[in-house]
Amino acid sequence: MNEVTLDDLGRKERLHPLYLLTGLGKVARNGWGLIAGGAFLAFQERWDIFVLLLLTMTGGTFVSLLIRWLTFEYRLGNDELRIDQGLLARSSRAIPFDRVTDVDIEQGPIHRLFGLARVRMETGAATKADAEEGVLDAVALDRAEAIREYVRARKRGLAPRPAEVIAHDAPALFEMSIKRVVTLGLFNFSLAILAALVGLSQTLGNVLNFDPFDPDFWADLFASSGAVRDFVMLYQVIAAIAGTILLVLVGMVTGLIRTLLRDYGFRLERTESGLRRRRGLVTLTDVTIPDRRIQAATLVTGPVRRRFGWFALKLQSLAMDDKQGDHVVAPLATFEEAATIQRSLSRPIEPDSAWHRLPYGHFTSGAIGLLVVMAVAIGVGILAEPLAFLAAAGVGLAIVVHHYEWKHARWALDDAHVFIERGWWRQRRAIVPVKRIQSVDLTENFWTRLFGFSRLRLGIAGGTLLDSFSIEAIARADAEALRARLVAA
Amino acid sequence: MTATIPDDIKRVEPGYRYALTLGAAFFWLPVLLGALIVDRFILIDTPFGGLLPIGVGLIGIGATLYAPGRVWRRLGYALDDRLLRVVRGWLFHTDTIVPFVRVQHIDVREGPLDKVFSIATLVVHTAGTHNSVVTLPGLAPERARAIRDAIRAEIRADSE
Repeated sequence: MNEVTLDDLGRKERLHPLYLLTGLGKVARNGWGLIAGGAFLAFQERWDIFVLLLLTMTGGTFVSLLIRWLTFEYRLGNDELRIDQGLLARSSRAIPFDRVTDVDIEQGPIHRLFGLARVRMETGAATKADAEEGVLDAVALDRAEAIREYVRARKRGLAPRPAEVIAHDAPALFEMSIKRVVTLGLFNFSLAILAALVGLSQTLGNVLNFDPFDPDFWADLFASSGAVRDFVMLYQVIAAIAGTILLVLVGMVTGLIRTLLRDYGFRLERTESGLRRRRGLVTLTDVTIPDRRIQAATLVTGPVRRRFGWFALKLQSLAMDDKQGDHVVAPLATFEEAATIQRSLSRPIEPDSAWHRLPYGHFTSGAIGLLVVMAVAIGVGILAEPLAFLAAAGVGLAIVVHHYEWKHARWALDDAHVFIERGWWRQRRAIVPVKRIQSVDLTENFWTRLFGFSRLRLGIAGGTLLDSFSIEAIARADAEALRARLVAA
Repeated sequence: MTATIPDDIKRVEPGYRYALTLGAAFFWLPVLLGALIVDRFILIDTPFGGLLPIGVGLIGIGATLYAPGRVWRRLGYALDDRLLRVVRGWLFHTDTIVPFVRVQHIDVREGPLDKVFSIATLVVHTAGTHNSVVTLPGLAPERARAIRDAIRAEIRADSE
């Protein structure tokens, strides 16, 4: 082991002095208690205490930020980034460039105002996605980009290039116009805000005696004005339709706003060693995905999107992207655009060989189980509770969906890639390079054995457990042949 | 380009059965005791009196005396110079293949019970999210270490 000398570590640097201001956003976010307390005190007309409270809060925050700024030092060495921080409990963290999978640059609203950026080193320690591994909270934007170039160059074992050589605008591999972002927003129908409203009315409603989700609230309201009541009772159907339309509108607007915030100005570029993605309206993110880290690709669509010819392309890499296991490289693209992105990575989007369907036993084995449940529900419906017929109808629907899912599932294998398609509502096509398969699992149980099929599951690095790569049903002999080819590479 | 998948499945050490039996006994005895207490103080006056300890006892005896032999019979492994294959279970059957080049690191585990019967567990870690840990219990300790060394040599040869 070579002793690391001070020279190797580079000179000490502090965060940008304006860090003291970027911290204010955090204060405002944590300041709800202060606002509530202030409102209470103002109500009591105790202004002196309120002002005192305000001053202490602001002063305390400022001093703590100042201390943090004074004690936070980072050094960009030859092989590692050193971060020293802390006043009483001082810690020194070394992040070897070899372990850095990616350097992310983020800009919040205050960052953008002052031309600053937050630099984050991704080291692929996926289990600690929340832990701040190597974050420089505020550095000047050009310095941030220089750091990124430096780390990347160091990783390749090259001498660092001067920062000004960075090509700022490589030709875009995929771009989203504002029209495209809006289209995407319309697909991202979301009723999340409704859930939030319900929650709010639960907590506030009791206090304010205002609960729009309680039928009595409306009944009381209408009772107090006879004319309105007659009108609504008369046109109840119209009211219901209007309510539904309102709901749909709320969902659409929410989806639109969320999508605009996230995907505005979406731009994907091909760089020397990977892909670079920039997006965001208020908070800009700038992420690079090195080629070597990309494991599998997924092409996602749905019945409605497919009709319009839209797909989303995601790449699974070792790093996490905003707590998701895969990186969206094209949220809304035509098949041809997705194919172009895949081609730029020397990866296919369609197999050269034929697709294989899943054995019919996969449908029957599932349907038999569901039919048993349905029979029970019908029995209960006849004997005791008529509501059970509704459950039976639901199970019937599940059988139909199961059939659709079976019809849409298929797989293919060509020279170097496995293709697995599944799903009817959420159609996913996984494209997995055979070289990236970590392990192969064949499972069967007493039930599937009766139908002569097993399930083949692939272990792929990165990602989350939610999106596993598996062929749900495959005849035993085919499974063994396929597995032999998968582990051959 | 079909690869040969090792199909000379070997069984693990017979001692694994006894380790499983003892482990199951350690688990089921307190459960049986608990069932007896619950029966004595709560269920005694209900029509279910006596049923719980009998049921738990039967399951416990099955799990202690019958199941270990079955588990052992259905557990097997095979390896050649580049693949490890682990086969287990019948009711829920799993057949896992791990290429050596995909292995990140390897543990050999010996618990207190394992030491009594001189067996060890080989634990292979891959980078996969699903199935990132593949365990092979019931190996003789020296056998487990030999497999570990073989895989380690393979990783070193391929280190990227």
